[in-house]
Amino acid sequence: MDTKLSSIFENYPNKQRDDLIPLLHSIQDQFGYLSEEFIIEVGNYLNISVNKIYGVATFYDNFRFGPKGKFHIRLCHGTACHVAGSSNILSELEKLLRISNGETDKNGLFSLEVVSCIGACGLAPLIEINEEYFSQLTTESLKDILNHFRENHNSIYEDQ
Amino acid sequence: MSFNIQVNNKPVEVHEGEILLNALRRNGIKIPTLCYMHGFTPSGACRLCVVEIDGKRDLVTSCAYPVEPEMVVKTNSARVIKARKSLVEMLLSNHPDDCLYCERNGNCELQWLAEEMNIKERKYFSSKRSDKRDHSSPSVYRDPAKCILCSRCVRVCEEVQLVTAIEFISRADKTSVNSAFSKGLNISSCINCGQCIMVCPTGALVDISHIEKVQSALASDKKYPVAFLSPAFVASVSDHFNLKPSDKPAGLIIAALKNMGFRKVYDLGWAVDMNIHLEASLLLERSKKKDTVTPLFSSCCPAWIKYAEEFVPEMISDISTVKSPQQLMGYIVKNHEKAEAEKKKQQLYTVSLMACVANKFEGSREGNTRKGESEVDATLTIREFLKMLRSYGINLLRFDPVIADNPFDHSSAAGYQVSYSGGKAEAVAMHLNHLINGEKKNGPKFTPPKNPGSKKEVKLSIGKQEFGFAWVSGIGEAQKYFDQLVTEKRKDIHYVEVMACPGGCAGGGGQPVYYFQDKHKARKKTGQDLEKSLKSRKPSQNIHMLEYLNVRLARKEEKDVLQTRFKQRDVIK
Repeated sequence: MDTKLSSIFENYPNKQRDDLIPLLHSIQDQFGYLSEEFIIEVGNYLNISVNKIYGVATFYDNFRFGPKGKFHIRLCHGTACHVAGSSNILSELEKLLRISNGETDKNGLFSLEVVSCIGACGLAPLIEINEEYFSQLTTESLKDILNHFRENHNSIYEDQ
Repeated sequence: MSFNIQVNNKPVEVHEGEILLNALRRNGIKIPTLCYMHGFTPSGACRLCVVEIDGKRDLVTSCAYPVEPEMVVKTNSARVIKARKSLVEMLLSNHPDDCLYCERNGNCELQWLAEEMNIKERKYFSSKRSDKRDHSSPSVYRDPAKCILCSRCVRVCEEVQLVTAIEFISRADKTSVNSAFSKGLNISSCINCGQCIMVCPTGALVDISHIEKVQSALASDKKYPVAFLSPAFVASVSDHFNLKPSDKPAGLIIAALKNMGFRKVYDLGWAVDMNIHLEASLLLERSKKKDTVTPLFSSCCPAWIKYAEEFVPEMISDISTVKSPQQLMGYIVKNHEKAEAEKKKQQLYTVSLMACVANKFEGSREGNTRKGESEVDATLTIREFLKMLRSYGINLLRFDPVIADNPFDHSSAAGYQVSYSGGKAEAVAMHLNHLINGEKKNGPKFTPPKNPGSKKEVKLSIGKQEFGFAWVSGIGEAQKYFDQLVTEKRKDIHYVEVMACPGGCAGGGGQPVYYFQDKHKARKKTGQDLEKSLKSRKPSQNIHMLEYLNVRLARKEEKDVLQTRFKQRDVIK
């Protein structure tokens, strides 16, 4: 049967139970998230109960079950950022975007993920939007950044 | 080899290689556990079985620790007691504390532990779980707020039943036991066997109760409630109250049901006889065809049927199409009582009394309703019946036994046989012999293998042919056997009795929940004693049933209603 996942399955010909997590990673790398459809397909392929796979996938924070927004925001919650007030940034983000950690907003524009230390402690508090870093944030500067992305979302990445 | 260890300053004899917990319990030393299940790999999740061992810095979980020579163990030192108390206090930290409104009030392992540990107030506070309650299944109700994550249900569902309808979802404080994609049991692969209910230490998993439905039917003058009583139910209630066959337990239960307000009570064993007669006839028909090599699989267990529809749809064509005893009875009673109910301007309401929660689901199956009306309106489990006895203030033993109502008032010993694993295969074999040879004095004898390790098979030569009969209980065991049949290319097995619950209906999901007791063997024994007390031994002696089939249901279309069909189910599995 030819499906979206066929080409990924080709790399896992042994159908071992230990293939599960690498396989889920490959799917997420290609499609950005694990849909129910994909999980069911993996279950059929590896002959593992779908519920078992869902249990394994939900155990790890790195797996997503819905698509990311166009702008994926990663908020650093490491020690330095925490001391510099990343909790305030998080609540401000949640207020402005009306989503909480792990969610994507209605228009599919922004998604939010809280992560442990990004490794740029000198720039705390810090967020990363599609691999672009915004440092030493205040609630004011955060608003401007989000507005910038919101207003120009049609033109950003157009050249890519 | 055995040796002695020191436990609480006394010598205790243990066997080499034994797990400490088992050794302690075998010697009558009480160790509390929540996650431990006998015969399963230890999970060490609840940690309540901790003991102190001399020379060990930390407390040790006895459920996962083998005995060692010269071990010195303390099971009730101050340190152990303190640790256990803290553990229970932490389990209670997010518990809803609604014991008064809980199905398992008075029969809850967590409640007992809180009492035993002398817990008087809430020591740790954490927010209650907000997971939604799951009412979606026709048989099983889940309340995640009461779940203590012991994993007993998850392990039974996966290891015994191979279904994995429930599993741990998420991690740490967000962990919950849930169905796939947290979507509800009704669209999961759940087969409604109820084994999860049987192992749940709290009220997180209980059955969908039909008590209120039945009570309002009993109270209404617009309804005409009729009950039918399954022999497995009688055997279990009899075992619960320690009744002897001479007490006539069926008669006592019928008297109680009449007292509750049922207008008529019939014997479901009558339909068991019919089921066996029809299934043996089907087997005879099949044996005449030369090209059939696959055995006929029994169809009376609704949980097994749902498993087949979901997981092994290729087997459906080999499953007997005869309706289960509950549905046969439902159909026949609905037809029989229709005129009576109409005369009284009342609506007929049929209630089956079963040892099973999957029967609640079976009553609502597509093929089991006619013109929008179900054949069986409600199913009461033994747990529900025992509760009703208490709430009606009925003491069974104070009644005089009453016989079931005419015309479905008697049944053969086959009814009790069907209540345990292996019994139905025997009844079908004996009836097949009757169909082929008629009544002869020296017929073949059905002797199950005595050795517990041997295959549950019996081969009999009936007429000119040799027939093989097999029986399996528990889906895991059943699936293993099916795989063997295929890989070994067996052609010598003609009939396989499949029961989804280990031990058959005697271990059914609607049985009373006992703490640490493997009751299905005791129930089987009670069933066998009751079986011996019956005069009518075989379905072939149930003349009324056979006449009913020949006279009332002579036309072909009438006979078709005694058959059902199964089809592949697409579920998340």
